[in-house]
Amino acid sequence: MSLSGELIAFIGLALVAIVGGVLLITLTKVVHMVIALVFTFLGIAGIYMLLSAEFVAIVQILIYSGAITIVMLFGIMLTKHQENDAPAKGGWGNFSLLAAIAGFAVAVYLGIYNLDIPVQPTALHEENTKQIGIELFQNM
Amino acid sequence: MTGVPLSAYLVLALVLFCIGLYGALTKRNAVIVLISIELMLNAANINLVAFSKFGVTPSITGQVFSLFTITIAAAEAAVGLAILMSLYRNRKTVNVDEMEIMKN
Amino acid sequence: MMEHAWLIPIFPLVTFLVLLLSGGRLRERGAFIGIICTLASFVLSLLVLIERFKEPTYNISIDWLSFGGTQLTAGFEINQLNALMLVVVSLVSLLVQIYSKGYMKGEVRFSIFYAYLGFFTFAMLGLVMAPNLLQLYIFWELVGVGSFLLIGFYFYKLEAKAAAKKAFIMTRIGDVGLLIGIILLFWETGSFEYGEIFQAVQSGMISSEKLTLIAILIFIGAVGKSGQFPLHTWLPDAMEGPTPVSALIHAATMVAAGVYLVAAMFPLFMASFAAMQIVAITGGITAIFAASIAIVQKDVKRVLAYSTISQLGFMMLALGTSGYVAGVFHLMTHAFFKALLFLAAGSVIHAIHTQDMEKMGGLWRKLKWTGPMFLTGTLAISGFPLLSGFFSKDEILMAAWENGSYILFGLAVVTSFLTAFYMFRLFFMMFAGDSRSQVEQVKESPFTMLIPMLALALLAVIGGYIQTPWFGTFLGEWLVEGNEALLGASHSEGPVWIMLLAVLVSLAGIYLAYRIYAKKKLPRQWLVKENSEVYRILENKYYIDEIYHFTAGYAIKGFSIFLSYIERFIVGGLVSTVTSSIEGLGKIGSKLQTGQVQQYGMIAFLGLAVLLVIFAVTGGI
Repeated sequence: MSLSGELIAFIGLALVAIVGGVLLITLTKVVHMVIALVFTFLGIAGIYMLLSAEFVAIVQILIYSGAITIVMLFGIMLTKHQENDAPAKGGWGNFSLLAAIAGFAVAVYLGIYNLDIPVQPTALHEENTKQIGIELFQNM
Repeated sequence: MTGVPLSAYLVLALVLFCIGLYGALTKRNAVIVLISIELMLNAANINLVAFSKFGVTPSITGQVFSLFTITIAAAEAAVGLAILMSLYRNRKTVNVDEMEIMKN
Repeated sequence: MMEHAWLIPIFPLVTFLVLLLSGGRLRERGAFIGIICTLASFVLSLLVLIERFKEPTYNISIDWLSFGGTQLTAGFEINQLNALMLVVVSLVSLLVQIYSKGYMKGEVRFSIFYAYLGFFTFAMLGLVMAPNLLQLYIFWELVGVGSFLLIGFYFYKLEAKAAAKKAFIMTRIGDVGLLIGIILLFWETGSFEYGEIFQAVQSGMISSEKLTLIAILIFIGAVGKSGQFPLHTWLPDAMEGPTPVSALIHAATMVAAGVYLVAAMFPLFMASFAAMQIVAITGGITAIFAASIAIVQKDVKRVLAYSTISQLGFMMLALGTSGYVAGVFHLMTHAFFKALLFLAAGSVIHAIHTQDMEKMGGLWRKLKWTGPMFLTGTLAISGFPLLSGFFSKDEILMAAWENGSYILFGLAVVTSFLTAFYMFRLFFMMFAGDSRSQVEQVKESPFTMLIPMLALALLAVIGGYIQTPWFGTFLGEWLVEGNEALLGASHSEGPVWIMLLAVLVSLAGIYLAYRIYAKKKLPRQWLVKENSEVYRILENKYYIDEIYHFTAGYAIKGFSIFLSYIERFIVGGLVSTVTSSIEGLGKIGSKLQTGQVQQYGMIAFLGLAVLLVIFAVTGGI
């Protein structure tokens, strides 16, 4: 598999998104967590771009990176935001949760890694917003 | 041209979903729990959009649905935060562990 | 008229229901309802009886239940015995209710008393009219309930409560016998109907051993209800009830039920010689046994109670010696004079507020009406010539002699001597001599109490003339009419000296009592020394109660303790194991419900993950 521009872009954006997610889990300050999340959202918006869904990408940036993040920040500020998030309870509970998530991930991965659907040429990227508009208001 | 395969997107969505799930189930701050749930919704959105392009019958419908999901998620975040606020006023805490009046 | 006979028991039931539902608001007006309803019953019974003289037995029944090939019916029957019993029961009940209006005056639960009386009368009338054994058994138990309610009427008195329970339980022992007997009969004949049963008996369908067993079992029921030895102990204790109730129980309802049962099932008993022997012997023993106890009792009502037991023994003796007519005849005359005696005794008790005859005496001049009436009853029961008791007792003696049971005949003669003696002992101690009472102002009872006594006194005098060796044996002929083969002769013929002997014996008893208790010529210790062994045994009623207490009582107590341990440790242990394990489960469940939303989510997700993993590993199979 040669490194096409699309792949490079995907890898970069996926990394941004995943790193943002991991930071969300690992950071201790609540505000930092929300900032980390903004990166994830932006990364996901980029992924949408790659998937020729420009309109969704814009909406993602507006709603998630903009509105929801701000709302969350307000929520944090109106509550006890100085406190660090208490460390998660260790022990069996978390371990079994991790095991379960890992099992879940493996099971789903087994389902998807060989998924091979023939790629069909699409015209989603042409006048994407118009298509969405037509679909929404004409066909539905 | 070899594009990015569908499974790559799905794996990304899976990873994000798992991160969100882990956060939703372990974080103590209710706001972070809400955020984690948003993350899970986003992961689902990626799936929708990815199938809209690489699915068996590619069509714009997937994207339209992801728009719906975003709408719902935004509304959910707003309502969730409103509930959180009133809960905070009553109990002076946003720690999920302490919201246990329905136990036993 | 006979087709309307079903109304007879309905009237007292109406009393019961109305008074019960009115909840005591009627107070003493309740008496009128009771009296009017019972009067209606009585009039109807009388009309039925008169009609029954001319017409044959009336029997109507409707299908009640049918299962398999068996039909159970319900209905009523008017034959000679029923018609006679209906009149006796309703009459005595009517008189007792009139009497109670005076006697129970001022009682708080006045209308309840009448309600119970109505119920009791209803049960007895229903019992008498029952055309089959099943129906009879239902009413039989209802009579038991009625007696329980009435004996325990003063339930706040500990003795009354105990007596009520005792009456209920002792008769229940008999009832079990009766029930088993009825079931066996049904087993053998497939029917509860009297007619079919008697036919089956006559055709020899039932083997004689079975027949004897059934007859004895049924007789056990009668023993319980009629207070025969050895199940008699409840009857004296039942004196704790109000006196009118004693009159009703002893004369017409409860104890008559036993004799009635034997009389109604007479053809069955006739078919088994052994059963008849047992009936006769039980009756004879009871008669003399109770009479001997009555000699030393000091409580007026107890003396009368033992005399009732003794007289019931007489009836059983008569029935057991094939004297069907004699038994029924004595049942009727006894109803009259025993009711009279109880009502008169009640009148005395009402006047001087004691039942202890040591504290009575000299009442003849003070109670101008009660005295003569009590005397009438006493003479009648003692078999004084020309009174009702004389004729019926004579009939019994004849029956015993004719049957060839000379020992029983001797017992009966001795008993009638004792009867005369203890009854006049009672009479003289109450009415003769000087007053030993603390009550200065002795008032005669009101008219409502005297009138029923008067009516009964009249009946006690003339009641015997329907069956005499001189003026014809009307009752006997009528009773056995159409059933001569089943019920035996209408009249027992015997040598003339038997009647003379009976008169002599009764006069001797009266004279002896007169010498000892009225004239005091003979010391009271003349017969049996006070504090002697014999006296003590008699005083304590042969220690029957104590024997029961030490045998059956302790046995049952021991068994109950054993059962209570089973209950406590095995059953209770099981129960507590179940409860504690369920409680533990619940506790665990409530522990699981921590209120931690994330924990719930985690567990739900764990489940999902496990399912998914299983799905992935097995490939969806």
